[in-house]
Amino acid sequence: MGFIAPLMFIAGGTVLAGIVAMYILRLRREERTVSSTFLWNQLVRDVEANAPWQRLRHNWLLWLQLLIALLLAFAIARPFRETVGVSGQNLIVIIDRSASMGATDVEANRLEAAKNEAIRLVDQLPDGARATIMAIGGELDVPAAATTDRREIRDAIEGIELRLGGGSDMSQALSLAGALAAREEESEVAILTDGQVTVPMSATLPAKIRYFPVGSSNNNQAIAAIALNELAPGTLTFFARVTNQGQERVTRRLLVTLDGTLFNAYDLEILPGQDQTVNIDVPSTASTVEARLDGSDSLPSDDVAWAIRPSSDAIPVRFVTPGNRFLATALGLMPRVQVSAYLTETATFTDTALLTILDASLPEPLPPGNLLFIAPYRSTEYFSVTGSLDRPVPRPAPTDDPLLRNVELGEVNILKSARIENAPWAHTVIDSAAGPLLIAGEVDGRRIAVLGFDTHDSDLPLNISFPLLIANLVGYLAPGTGGDSAILPPDQELAFAVTNDISGVRLIQPNGETHEATPNNGLISFDGSLLKQAGIYSVELLNDGVVARSQRYVVNAYRESEAKITPVQVLDVAQIGGGQVGSSETTQAKAGREEWWRWLALAALIFVLIEWVFAQRSALTRLKLWWNARRSAA
Amino acid sequence: MSEQAALFEPQFLKQLDRLALLTRRNIAGQMQGERRSPRRGSSVEYADFKPYTPGDDFRQIDWNLYARLEKFFLKLFVAEEEITLHLLIDTSASMDWGEPNKLRYAAQAAGALGYIALASLDRAQVTSFGGGNEQRIPAGRGRAGVPPLFNLLSQLKGNGNTSLLQASRRYVQTARVAGPLLLCSDLLTPDWEEALRTLGRRPFEITVLHVLSPDELNPPFEGDLKLLDAEGGEALDISADLDLLQRYVERLQAWREEVEHFCTTRGINYIFVDTSLPLESLLISVLRERQIVR
Repeated sequence: MGFIAPLMFIAGGTVLAGIVAMYILRLRREERTVSSTFLWNQLVRDVEANAPWQRLRHNWLLWLQLLIALLLAFAIARPFRETVGVSGQNLIVIIDRSASMGATDVEANRLEAAKNEAIRLVDQLPDGARATIMAIGGELDVPAAATTDRREIRDAIEGIELRLGGGSDMSQALSLAGALAAREEESEVAILTDGQVTVPMSATLPAKIRYFPVGSSNNNQAIAAIALNELAPGTLTFFARVTNQGQERVTRRLLVTLDGTLFNAYDLEILPGQDQTVNIDVPSTASTVEARLDGSDSLPSDDVAWAIRPSSDAIPVRFVTPGNRFLATALGLMPRVQVSAYLTETATFTDTALLTILDASLPEPLPPGNLLFIAPYRSTEYFSVTGSLDRPVPRPAPTDDPLLRNVELGEVNILKSARIENAPWAHTVIDSAAGPLLIAGEVDGRRIAVLGFDTHDSDLPLNISFPLLIANLVGYLAPGTGGDSAILPPDQELAFAVTNDISGVRLIQPNGETHEATPNNGLISFDGSLLKQAGIYSVELLNDGVVARSQRYVVNAYRESEAKITPVQVLDVAQIGGGQVGSSETTQAKAGREEWWRWLALAALIFVLIEWVFAQRSALTRLKLWWNARRSAA
Repeated sequence: MSEQAALFEPQFLKQLDRLALLTRRNIAGQMQGERRSPRRGSSVEYADFKPYTPGDDFRQIDWNLYARLEKFFLKLFVAEEEITLHLLIDTSASMDWGEPNKLRYAAQAAGALGYIALASLDRAQVTSFGGGNEQRIPAGRGRAGVPPLFNLLSQLKGNGNTSLLQASRRYVQTARVAGPLLLCSDLLTPDWEEALRTLGRRPFEITVLHVLSPDELNPPFEGDLKLLDAEGGEALDISADLDLLQRYVERLQAWREEVEHFCTTRGINYIFVDTSLPLESLLISVLRERQIVR
């Protein structure tokens, strides 16, 4: 235990001495004349000579007042005990709210534990210290920025909710934390996560970094993949892959429900780190399937998944190209894609198509609907082409993007690529040291993806990953067509084109709540916040208030990076001037100061109350007697 | 009359006219009066026979008895004499205190008894003692003695310290005849016991009117106080909390019981009076009940 302001003991000692002096000094008493002191003389003990001082006697009031003064002296000296925590004047708290933080291996769940820890850290802050709260997991949120208002900070922390989608990329948070820390000395960054986060290699912060790992278990099994495919007419196949992310062999029962009716159950024995698949034929009339793992593990959110049967409607794709056999072949492999090829870019496209692929072509104006640019040779209204990249080495962006599902880039070589810039609406899917090679995102209510290199300038088309990448891109850019394309990650904006006869669209969430939107230039968009629940969503396309068509989408919580819930004890983030911090050793160092003067002040307050009651006991007794007399009279 | 009005309302005096002083035994007086005396006298009430001895008044020989017995006997009759009521009033500073004022109350009580005595053709002698200043008026008789009595009583003032013992000794030595004695005092002096014992040495029929005010019975004190003695005694510091006040009341009660026990064992009438008690109640209820008046 230590004291922040030990000199305050001098002030406290002075007060103590003052109290004692008040009791030693004779009281200046009010004079009252009585007929005789004859009887009083026989009662009163404390008769003293008329000296200015008197002997200090036992007096409960004196002892109570000394105790109160002592408590207050200790309180203003601000005692503290060293604890695992922070001590800086500028605290930046980064809280992970990704899906893995929903693991229930700690009280409530990991997120609640992290929030409690964050509140504890904030409570330890010295007076006047500021705090910034950041929430990673999906888009970066900063609910409280450099504020000294403890209530605001606490509300900000308590307002953080779990996000099933979006992964746990710390790069943005660390960049912002670095900028904030650079402005003020004695900055400290506290990272509260289970460690299942993506930390950029170059992350270096000009501040002390403390890592507070959350979680204790790695026991998690998840439905990693689910599909309901019509491989042949009249034959519907259900596929599910269950993965065991834990360290022990487990047996889980997979319950398969078709259209709300239990169809079958399968006991799956899964080795640590291994998968088990279920591939069965189901009645061709089934339209939805729910797969649920019976029993429990630490992360229940990925124990259930849904799939819907693919739409039998063809997916119209407009393909503008000077000629590309690779792409034509890849598109031809996709069963329901109906490709309309245009060999010239001089044509003007005014009708709305679900997806237009512009392969080395840039018609003016750009066609309406979702767009896939391949090897753009000039800038457009959505991005700039500022040159070319020679022999870029592709690598997946650290965001675990679903567009790269089953895509392997390790063997891919690229001769050259367009240098794509000024696309703030997009996120990088395939990155390189010199710049992004594939970006995707939504802007103006349409989905756009830009692949920087020509398929002829790469050996990617010769790789098995190519048709998978194209299938992922088409699924992303032509949503609502059932099958895999109908499976969405949580929190992802839902946007699609509608025909002119559609006047409104109604989104029905799994919990039954509905939200309506009207088309804007033939495009419908629902914000990602409406799609944060896992489950089946219905979209009703309305024509003058009457349902003309309906589509269904599935939001499944599984994300490979989030299914790994093993708590990480070492988080490698470098700090300037302080070496590697964020390891378990430095985390456990007792850097924090937990002040407990409030408890002393509370105790002093209680004793003040006791002292008052003691001093006023005569009046209280009279009050009690009066009250009893009144009650008996009544 | 103005002095009478100062002490009593005329209506109250009319009530007093209906009362008479009672004594527990016959007391010899100096002059003929209306009360039975232990002496033989010349009333019409037969008392006894006595064999004649030379020197006796032969006019009292019962000749009828001589005719039957042929011996001389004297027929004796009860003597009727006056009595003297002794009123002793403590006028120390401690008596001139309280609300209602104790001295005023004592003067009224003494005046009322004195008036009753004078109206019955008895004598009433008032003596006040306080601060070494003793005032006494000679024993008056009949209604003519009322004005001087009331005059003295209405002018009484509390003064200084009183030695009740010394005053009692002096009174015992100087009183000419015995008779009923009313001592009005608060007895707030350490020598009250010896003083009462001293008065008991003469055959007075003593009644102690112990006068205390409500503020002495339940002091309205709170907090840290310096108590100043009205008689100039040593000041006293107290912290008047409920505990101390409770102990004071208990001590006062014990002291009263002690005084009462002392009086009872010595044939002294002890009457405790709270000055909040109306004077009419004292005279008509309390003193009647205690057979001081009828």
